[in-house]
Amino acid sequence: MSYIAGVDIGNSTTEVCVGEVTGNGNLTFLTSASCPTTGTKGTIENVYSVKNALKLAMSRIGRETSDIDLVRLNEAAPVIGDTAMETLTETVITDSSMIGHNPSTPAGAGQAVGEILLIGNISRGVPGTPYILAASAEHSYEEVAAVVNQYGSGSGQHDGIDIVGIILQADEAVLVENRIHKKVPIIDEVRRIDRLPDGVPAAIEVALPGQTVRMLSNPYGIATLLGLNAEETRTVTPIAKSLIGKRSAVVLKTPGGNIHENILPAGEIYFHGDRNITINLDEGADKIMAAAADAGDIRDISGQPDTNVGNMLSRIRTGMSELDKSAEADIRITDILAVDTLAPVLISGALAGETCLEKAVGIAAMVKTQKLPMQEIADRLKTELNTEVKVAGVEAVMASLGALTTPGTKLPLAILDMGGGSTDAAVISDDGHVTMTHQAGAGELVSMLIQTELGLSDRHIAEQIKKYPLAKVESLFHMRMENGQMTFVDESIDPRFFGRVVLLTESGLIRIEEEIPMEKIVQVRREAKRKVFVTNAFRALRKVAPEHNLRNISTVVLVGGSAEDFEIPEMLMEAFTDYRIVCGRGNIRGSEGPRNAVATGLVLSYVGEQQ
Amino acid sequence: MIIQRPSIFIYTHQADPAVLKEVCAGVEEEGVFYDTVEFPDECMEKLAYKAARDSMLGSGIGIFGTAVCLKMRGLEKGRNIESYLAPSRIQCRNIGANSARAIKKLPFKEDYGI
Repeated sequence: MSYIAGVDIGNSTTEVCVGEVTGNGNLTFLTSASCPTTGTKGTIENVYSVKNALKLAMSRIGRETSDIDLVRLNEAAPVIGDTAMETLTETVITDSSMIGHNPSTPAGAGQAVGEILLIGNISRGVPGTPYILAASAEHSYEEVAAVVNQYGSGSGQHDGIDIVGIILQADEAVLVENRIHKKVPIIDEVRRIDRLPDGVPAAIEVALPGQTVRMLSNPYGIATLLGLNAEETRTVTPIAKSLIGKRSAVVLKTPGGNIHENILPAGEIYFHGDRNITINLDEGADKIMAAAADAGDIRDISGQPDTNVGNMLSRIRTGMSELDKSAEADIRITDILAVDTLAPVLISGALAGETCLEKAVGIAAMVKTQKLPMQEIADRLKTELNTEVKVAGVEAVMASLGALTTPGTKLPLAILDMGGGSTDAAVISDDGHVTMTHQAGAGELVSMLIQTELGLSDRHIAEQIKKYPLAKVESLFHMRMENGQMTFVDESIDPRFFGRVVLLTESGLIRIEEEIPMEKIVQVRREAKRKVFVTNAFRALRKVAPEHNLRNISTVVLVGGSAEDFEIPEMLMEAFTDYRIVCGRGNIRGSEGPRNAVATGLVLSYVGEQQ
Repeated sequence: MIIQRPSIFIYTHQADPAVLKEVCAGVEEEGVFYDTVEFPDECMEKLAYKAARDSMLGSGIGIFGTAVCLKMRGLEKGRNIESYLAPSRIQCRNIGANSARAIKKLPFKEDYGI
């Protein structure tokens, strides 16, 4: 009787499974565990996560790692996924010339044109010229209101100056409005008010309740208000574009100022395959993917030097070169998945942190090295654990073996292994013959797309958004789920979550700091998953299917970390219905769900070898 | 028939004028009505509890001296949305704004000043 452990080192997770084999070849599975992979897959750093996972698994049955008689490592495919994102356009405003934001409580409504007058220079004002008053947070609402009432033309003095609009730094627009005699549009919460130049003509607009700005989000509206000629109108177009959807806005007329909407030199991608194909990045994701398909078997992919895509691909390549210490030329990019996206990018020169949606392309690349140093990892494990360690079995074959333990499956069978870094597919025929492929793009690309499209500050929260459903806390006692269902709680919800969009995780609520509507997050999340996984599932299965025809596949078992997702398997099931394919989330050994397929396969193959 | 306009109740006892003024400014900026009533009770929590109970909108603030407390109707005893013994100007302003945001179902403002 002996304990056999199967270990699967993946791009993001390391999984183990321990089984007991009796003398007559009977196998009982005892325990399994998984933990995050330390270091890049296939490097010596992985040893830590392997040891950790083994310890965790053994502790579940009250044993030590030293009780294990044999550890079987997967012969990991020498492919590693990586992602990169590059924006294709950018908006640059030299000389700050606009403010567009959504203060929660602006006051008044309508638009006005006037010269900027700082409150400290109020005595400079002359009757007959319209002014827009700007006050920093040092001036209280009472002070501002008093100044407006005293100097403004509404005060009854016939030589009063004409104040047509007010810009405030503090959140006090309504307070000021309630205290002044004349009603004018007031914008508040402008952080960088110190950057407003005195004496410059400006147009100000506050939208009616429930509406967004109309004049300043229209190039001709700006032209009308500020009296611009055709050439100047052309240059303010990017400003108008970035003010769309805002509740309040200010546009300054700065004669020397300049606005550019640059198209960055995106560069060309070179496919070296059966056919050599060159395609420009700004043709968009669809054309790039079509070119990748046309190129046939791809040996390598490179980018035009000194362009965005060139830098992007060489960055991926150098990142991977530390893995295989041999010459850099040995590392080849064999597949890419390109996805179109829009990224909110901070406009340089903006006054209240405005962003502009810029076109961008996200790329996941599949990097192939000669061979991963799995034997080195095995040797290190052997000395540290004091047990026999063996590198055994090709990953895809092991995954198929593991997937076959799902109740209701039989040969021939296709598996789709959706992990963090890559989407792999394999088909096993009746006689045990295995065809396989590795495709770029999986869970990490989805996280990256969610992060950029929502403009999130860190990747971690994007990962969470990918994994968990959303809800909005509508009162201290109930919340609305993303599917419209209401949930009531007995004990009041922490006020920190009130009114916010939260993620429902196993360990309680996580709140999303950015103020993004729940519907928008759901839409971006679904779209990102669809763009990556549905595209990739078709691509991968078509490659391994007999005669490259999907109709020759009857059953598909989904395994890997991303198959655990709460909506990806359903999306794929829907997409495959047209092909009459039985497709579903795997359930390894009838208990493990879609995870642990490779580790299980490794233990099973040991029994096979013994017989 | 007496028609009451919907408002946030602020129950005070020997309230510090500066604190009260900033709290009121916070509510006003959010565009919600408020009523202040002097109430002989020496506990900010009890004042807030009663204010929330009596307010048609279910949101109440209690001020005793400089101590401020924000409560909503239905909240268990000992669980306040926000409370301070000696709040700063910004904290006073935020507590007023938050009493209104609680009704508007907007996320609460936290102490970031401007």
